[in-house]
Amino acid sequence: MPAAMSAEEDLADVNRVLAGEVQAFEGIVRRWQGPLVNMAWRYCRDRGRAEEMAQEAFLRAWRGLAGWRRESSFSTWLFALAANVFRSELQRFPAVTVPLEEAAEPADPATQHEGLARKQSDEALRRAVLALPARYREPVVLYYFHEMDVAAASLTMGLPEGTVKARLARGRELLRKRFPKLNEPSTPMLSSTLHPQKEVLQ
Amino acid sequence: MKPNVKPETYHDAIDPILAAEEQLIPSSGFLAATMERVCDEAACPERIPFPWLRALPGIVLAVAVLGWCGFELAGMCLANAQEISITQVHLTAAAGRALEPAGWVAVALVASMLSWLFARRLAGRSGLL
Repeated sequence: MPAAMSAEEDLADVNRVLAGEVQAFEGIVRRWQGPLVNMAWRYCRDRGRAEEMAQEAFLRAWRGLAGWRRESSFSTWLFALAANVFRSELQRFPAVTVPLEEAAEPADPATQHEGLARKQSDEALRRAVLALPARYREPVVLYYFHEMDVAAASLTMGLPEGTVKARLARGRELLRKRFPKLNEPSTPMLSSTLHPQKEVLQ
Repeated sequence: MKPNVKPETYHDAIDPILAAEEQLIPSSGFLAATMERVCDEAACPERIPFPWLRALPGIVLAVAVLGWCGFELAGMCLANAQEISITQVHLTAAAGRALEPAGWVAVALVASMLSWLFARRLAGRSGLL
């Protein structure tokens, strides 16, 4: 869907909701449920919880719709609101992370297959993001969620781009230290990558 | 959101892994469940804000009464401290002991009356205050 069309539809739906037409909010949920659930998933890596958090974000958006000042796009406002909701939800109940060394161990001969092992190690890296300190975790999560757009990530976080870049660099540095074989370009990320320096993220 | 990132934009070995996350599709009931919560919320009557304007005279009155009591108490303490003697202490204690229950009963009655009037005023049913 072209972004301009989506923005027009968002604006029309917001106006209808503010005029008292509750059902118009369905259009907003329909368009943004995918991005919000995926964003929440990146914060917690738990599907059920991601949907709960996304639902809470929609409810907050509903309550605060009149507070959207239309200076920024609806999506920017919605993502910023959702990030606040996810952040506070995770402060109340932190995401449960599986210890990486356990998750990465090949459990049976099938996991020796390169493709499967690569998939497993990629997933371990994604889970390692959740083990980063909070100030570095969110920029990493949002940067990749916004498809490597620092400006979008900084708008969502409400922080200057420079701060986001600095935190992102530090977050990636921690991840590289945690997964040293990532720095070897020709080496595929096999499960052997996952003999990390355990102290880095702890 | 931007279209998918092209591989040539990767500068880091981490980039392709974290950028190439599989997209979750929300469960089929997500939209309906969310709209149900929204409709429930819309059906609820709006929260009644605390009537600060109506409460203001009561609050001012309470503060004034408390201030006046404090002022009187301080005055009495200072006066008694200047005129203290063993005989007076005994007399004051004896008189105080006799009047104390009556005083407390009067205070309780006044407080009850005021709180009843204040509550009725908050509910908008009294023209007394």
